[in-house]
Amino acid sequence: MAIISAQGVEKTFRQPKRKPGLAGAITSLFSREFTEVRAVNGISFAIEPGEAVGYLGPNGAGKSTMIKMMTGILVPTAGTLQVLGREPHSNRITNAAEIGVVFGQRSQLWWDLPVRDSFDLNRHIYDIPAHRFAENLARLTTMLDMGGYVDRPVRQLSLGQRMRAEIAMALLHDPKILFLDEPTIGLDVVAKDVVRKFLAEVNRDRGTTIILTTHDLVDIEEICPRLIMVDDGKLLFDGELKHLRQTLGSRRRLKLEFGTDPGPITLKTAALVTDDGLAKHFLLENEQTSILDVLTELGAGHDLTDIKLEEPNIEEVIRTFYQNKPAAVGARP
Amino acid sequence: MRAAAYPAFALTAFQSRLVYRNQVWASAFGDLVSIFARIAIWTAAFAGAAQVDGVTLPEMVTYALLSGPLLYWEYSRVLYDVGDAVRTGDVAVFLLKPLHYPSYLLSTHFGHFAFECVAIVVPVALIVGLTVGLLPPASLFHGLMFFPYWAVSWLILFTLACLCGLLAFWLLTAFSLEWFLMAIMSLFSGAIIPLWFLPTPLATIFGYLPFSWISYYPAAVYLGKLDPTATWLHLGIGLVWLGLLTAAVLALWGKARQRLIVQGG
Repeated sequence: MAIISAQGVEKTFRQPKRKPGLAGAITSLFSREFTEVRAVNGISFAIEPGEAVGYLGPNGAGKSTMIKMMTGILVPTAGTLQVLGREPHSNRITNAAEIGVVFGQRSQLWWDLPVRDSFDLNRHIYDIPAHRFAENLARLTTMLDMGGYVDRPVRQLSLGQRMRAEIAMALLHDPKILFLDEPTIGLDVVAKDVVRKFLAEVNRDRGTTIILTTHDLVDIEEICPRLIMVDDGKLLFDGELKHLRQTLGSRRRLKLEFGTDPGPITLKTAALVTDDGLAKHFLLENEQTSILDVLTELGAGHDLTDIKLEEPNIEEVIRTFYQNKPAAVGARP
Repeated sequence: MRAAAYPAFALTAFQSRLVYRNQVWASAFGDLVSIFARIAIWTAAFAGAAQVDGVTLPEMVTYALLSGPLLYWEYSRVLYDVGDAVRTGDVAVFLLKPLHYPSYLLSTHFGHFAFECVAIVVPVALIVGLTVGLLPPASLFHGLMFFPYWAVSWLILFTLACLCGLLAFWLLTAFSLEWFLMAIMSLFSGAIIPLWFLPTPLATIFGYLPFSWISYYPAAVYLGKLDPTATWLHLGIGLVWLGLLTAAVLALWGKARQRLIVQGG
């Protein structure tokens, strides 16, 4: 049975229209006009226990709104949403006890106190038995390499250390589902890597279901086999990452370098993307095209010095995808 | 969740205050200056008279200490806490946990208050007691009755601050509200001037508003200005006010939560 199921979930916000200036502010005291903003628009999916799902979309695509609905702090305007077999917002407290949530941009740690004290408060809030708490704390401290700073006040920590502590805090009570809203935002390369490896491990070894929103595609590549892509509140794609690559056509990039500028070159087998004179970049439109085909077409006598073929980069795949914006692909196999 | 989490919040708040030692010195010094200023004003006002309206100068010194630092504690922390959490949407963090936000606030701020009592009020009281002198309660009865009055006073001030903080959700800023609240309360509560020095019509009106249970009534009970019957009666009225204010906080919190979860942070 699905651990999370969404059917035609919608969320519409009513935002008061603000009129400019003092006169506008006074008028709006008496009569208010509202604009309706549809942040989530008819989204359906089902997530099985133990899955790791990346929820991807540009700013304002409705990612956080969806997370907030799943965690029970926002009520859907329409549709049905079930988390662990319950409606999250009407069972907020029961739901909260069984999930863990990390907001990349909001801290849940007590600012002035050592990290350990925040953990200890969570022990009370979630009523974690002493032995399990000790066990989890020891395990998380080792896995996230927090030994050096659990006794330091939160305000002295670097962002990377703080984020590791936030994640540990969300896992102390062994939640069945872990929601992460942009957990790697603002982290440096090393810290991102630690967080990603850890989340993948938690998902693999503990079987914790992970739902993660992000802008960073590498997060999804390393943690989430499954990808849900949204834009403008609508579902664009739901399926495996590699499937997305195939669906969108993996366009390989070919770089040709010349000893002397051969002038403009047009080819049938490859489309020119950028021309820097000595170096020219092409996209191979067709999966079957080989370098040999290109070279044959190019012919000899161009003073070619180097050739480089690059596999498509996922960022580019997704950028193309958003730019073309199909209505709904729904490619879940 | 266990109820044990709430005392833990109070303890955490208490501990977190230990971090800012300079703040303690600054508050204690500020309180000392203001209390000695008030003692100086009352000494000048009495101008050598043994008593004014049946009140003696030592009684006024004790009144100044009780009604000021002890009873009229630093409530703006509550107001900002609630106001900021609701306005910025940080309250979502609390909604994500299996806990009751108003109870969380109550225990946290009780922790802050306990800290201020130990670190600021007690030292200030000692200094005033040793230099100017403080009076004991008027009688054992009045001394004992001071405690329930104290509790009611604390909770009334807490609920009033919560109400204003929650209103920030609709009015977008807690700042103007704080000024409003500060002006009204310092006068109506009797924190600066006891009601017995006010013109009778004003004193009668203020005497029935919830504010006077913050400073005036507890201090008056301590000094024995209310006879036993009046003491019990006013405790009852204070409890009714407390009940009404608590209901208002819970209703407003419910509304704010509803709007948060319907409208988003």
